[in-house]
Amino acid sequence: MPEFEDRELVERAKENPDAFGALYDRYFPQIYRFAYSRVRDQSLAEDVTSEVFFKALKNIKRYTYAGHPFSSWLYQITLNAVADHYRGAAGKEVELEEGASLPSNEPTVVDEVVRRDRSRRVWAAIDQLPRQQRAAMVLKFAEDRKIEEIAHIMNKSSGAVKLLLHRGVERLRRELPQLEAEVGLP
Amino acid sequence: MMNDPELQEIFTDPAHQEVVDLLKVSRPAAPPLDPHFRSYLRAKLMTEARRTLGPQASRSWFPFRFTPKTLGPAMAAVAAGFIVVLGVEVYLHNQGAPTSQVAVNLVNNKTDVPTADPIQLHFSGPVDKNAVEASVQIEPATSVTKQWDGNTLVIVPDHQLAPNTTYTVTLKPAATAPTPNPVKPAVTPQPTPAPTPVVVHFTTTPAPVSPAVTQSFKSSTVGWRHDDRLANSSTMLNATWTPAGQLLVTRPAGLPGPGATASSSPSASPVGNATTDVWLMNASGTPLRILAPSATLPSAAPTGGLFASWNLGANNQATLQIRDLQGTLISTVATVKGVPDRPAVWVGSDRVAYLDHGALNVFGLHTPVKLTETYKLDQGSLAGSPDGQLLAAQTTDRSMVIDLATGAPRTRLPTGATGFAWSSKGDLAFLLQHDAGSDLYLYIDGKYARVASSSNGQAWSDLNWAPDATSLLLATKPTAGAGSTSLLLINRDGSNPTAFGSPQTEYSSPQWAPAGDLVLFIRRDDATGARVFWTATAMPSASDGAEQLALAEVNTFMQARLHGDSNAALAELDDAGKAAYQTGTMSLVSAAGTRFNRYYPVSVQLTASAPNKFLVGVRIFIAKSGVETSFLEEQLTLLEQGQKYLIDGASATATMPVGHGPTVVSVQVAPGDSHEQVRVHFDADLASSTVSSDTIKIRDLKGNDLSGKVTFDPNNHLATVVADLQPGNTYQLVVTTGITDINGVAMAQEYDAPLVIANR
Repeated sequence: MPEFEDRELVERAKENPDAFGALYDRYFPQIYRFAYSRVRDQSLAEDVTSEVFFKALKNIKRYTYAGHPFSSWLYQITLNAVADHYRGAAGKEVELEEGASLPSNEPTVVDEVVRRDRSRRVWAAIDQLPRQQRAAMVLKFAEDRKIEEIAHIMNKSSGAVKLLLHRGVERLRRELPQLEAEVGLP
Repeated sequence: MMNDPELQEIFTDPAHQEVVDLLKVSRPAAPPLDPHFRSYLRAKLMTEARRTLGPQASRSWFPFRFTPKTLGPAMAAVAAGFIVVLGVEVYLHNQGAPTSQVAVNLVNNKTDVPTADPIQLHFSGPVDKNAVEASVQIEPATSVTKQWDGNTLVIVPDHQLAPNTTYTVTLKPAATAPTPNPVKPAVTPQPTPAPTPVVVHFTTTPAPVSPAVTQSFKSSTVGWRHDDRLANSSTMLNATWTPAGQLLVTRPAGLPGPGATASSSPSASPVGNATTDVWLMNASGTPLRILAPSATLPSAAPTGGLFASWNLGANNQATLQIRDLQGTLISTVATVKGVPDRPAVWVGSDRVAYLDHGALNVFGLHTPVKLTETYKLDQGSLAGSPDGQLLAAQTTDRSMVIDLATGAPRTRLPTGATGFAWSSKGDLAFLLQHDAGSDLYLYIDGKYARVASSSNGQAWSDLNWAPDATSLLLATKPTAGAGSTSLLLINRDGSNPTAFGSPQTEYSSPQWAPAGDLVLFIRRDDATGARVFWTATAMPSASDGAEQLALAEVNTFMQARLHGDSNAALAELDDAGKAAYQTGTMSLVSAAGTRFNRYYPVSVQLTASAPNKFLVGVRIFIAKSGVETSFLEEQLTLLEQGQKYLIDGASATATMPVGHGPTVVSVQVAPGDSHEQVRVHFDADLASSTVSSDTIKIRDLKGNDLSGKVTFDPNNHLATVVADLQPGNTYQLVVTTGITDINGVAMAQEYDAPLVIANR
């Protein structure tokens, strides 16, 4: 969908419920997918997705185009909703500091890697990345967002996003061969 | 290898690039998704969106404010039955105070409620408005906007209500926890039990029976019967039909009516040239709602529920805007200097042509339209074809048909060709004026030919096609002298010109209503000399008369059954009809302890002629203790026998409970250009995403699903199936329980109905 049509639809959605419905139809799949990638739980992903769209509905009249796609705004709300969730369930997320090591010899991870193909192994490994790296990696490699847009979504500079991506890929580079060697894969 | 410059910039190390390549070619597995979650969330969101977005929610002028100035007309409207006031008796918790009884008994169980009217719930004392508002539930599901005026809750449906439908409005406020007394906790009142739910019912007006126009209607055999001055006619500056048979009207600004407040008056507004508003009215001239404040010259799209109008702004500027029939602004097309003197012209339903300083412009709602040259029109005629492809234009130096696919002229028309009018079938009629009179031409498939000429000394104008495209109405007036204008009905081939209207009365500007039953025109008021809007009721053709005769027979039969008079009912059956009721499980009268409460026709189909045979579907509601609890549907076959019809056969569905979920209220078969159209009306606001060829199907007698295209018009609860149905064949319409309303509630039962496609 061209961006200008997206913007027109958003403007209509400020007054027209059906237009908002069209926005929902357009963005539900990627928002749900992104929410799930962050919480890895179907029920939680549903809660987060629901919260995202209700917040979007509540605030859409205040939304103004600032050079980024409308989806960026939805991703922002998603990240905040996920963060709110974990704030409300403190201690449940195992948050790793930037630069910390992957639990590469985690048996459950290894067991899972054994059962999965190469593609799924790499995404399973991404799931183990620190929260910020994981968000940047998912937005770049799963959602095909541009770095500038990811920076806007995550409220970071483009340089910081590049650093997160670099660290994420470096970690995968280090850990993936080890995992594959451990399970006897080429 | 990476082909993303962003990634190439970050990852220069081949080892990193390998990982990135792996990531680029792989995708995370699709997350698990409950198939119902998406539609469930959508339904919840849309309910909230309709509550918080939209014109009613955002416009300060929309609420009904019964200021002293407007109280009188509003109450008069109540007295006239234009506003539904439901009497309720309800116990509501009132702001922490002990429960208080609020009792008002005005009208409950009202029938014949107009479908376009707002619903009012009046409370005689103060209530917890938030609790009441949040507790309102309406079945069938209806998206509404809720407003308060003092102690009156005004519920404005976002679309017209369905006809023939009993609506249930439930107030079920939850128990409110009492506010603790921080000083003396011991005297904190006990929690108030949840108040008794209040349920009120009302039934909307019967719909006009969908005519079996497919087989019998011929405008060429229709005649003028009588005409009626529209209510509020003196306030109508111009008017045009919507496809649904309502009127778009320009009226002086500041007039009272539903949705109008003092703030909508330009006199209370700084807008410069704003002296008129655009209103929606019913076919009788009753204002339904204001659609576009400070606007004029509306024109309705042929389908799709949109209209264009000029919004008059400050600095002598006008803006062409497109809105839906709720008044929601859809698009702003252009701003021009000066005050336009003609409405925009729709070309199909997604293109609008307009003039800017005499220069022709065409705006595409979805795709831009580019003209290859500048066309100057001034006062020349302009009309768009219903398929959106062609535009007939009388420019300052020539007349032509412009092809909008290329933006260039397709056909040069005779010099002076004017008065363009496109039929629903895509044929163009136009006039050539000369000293002795006028010539009527038709342009079909790229060629034009003269089909009729006026009698000497008569000039024709105001061409208007009948909906079935078989005839035209036009105005005729002496070319010299002060003779008056009258109307003429003429077949498309120029034959059988017939006067239409009362003799000695001056008429002009005829416009057929989309259903063909009314003609809107301007008539000179005999007393004052003013020219005001009237409608003529068209006299049905002989075959339409046959349909009315058959329906009258159905009514006689059904009234006897509603009154439990089996002997009278038997008198309307021939032997085959009697056998149908005596040998099957059907009963002429209701079982003990129940009664047939009401009925209405769901479908009318002419299935044979010479003698005529009609198949009429009737829905019968069964009441217990005065409450409708179930319904069934019968298909009655009526056979012409002598000078009347008798019921020659019948079949019935099982009895179904009146319950939750949407219901089909009418089915109509109409011919399209190349395929038949099956129009299915529902009683509820549906989740659009559930209306598709998966949920509305047409099957042949072998049970095979036919391929058909399904479209949905949410404003009119109307699904249309376009399919290749062969004349003489019988099919089955199947509406599955996959259809859900906006709250996600599915149809209670699958709906099946026969479709008989008559030979044309």
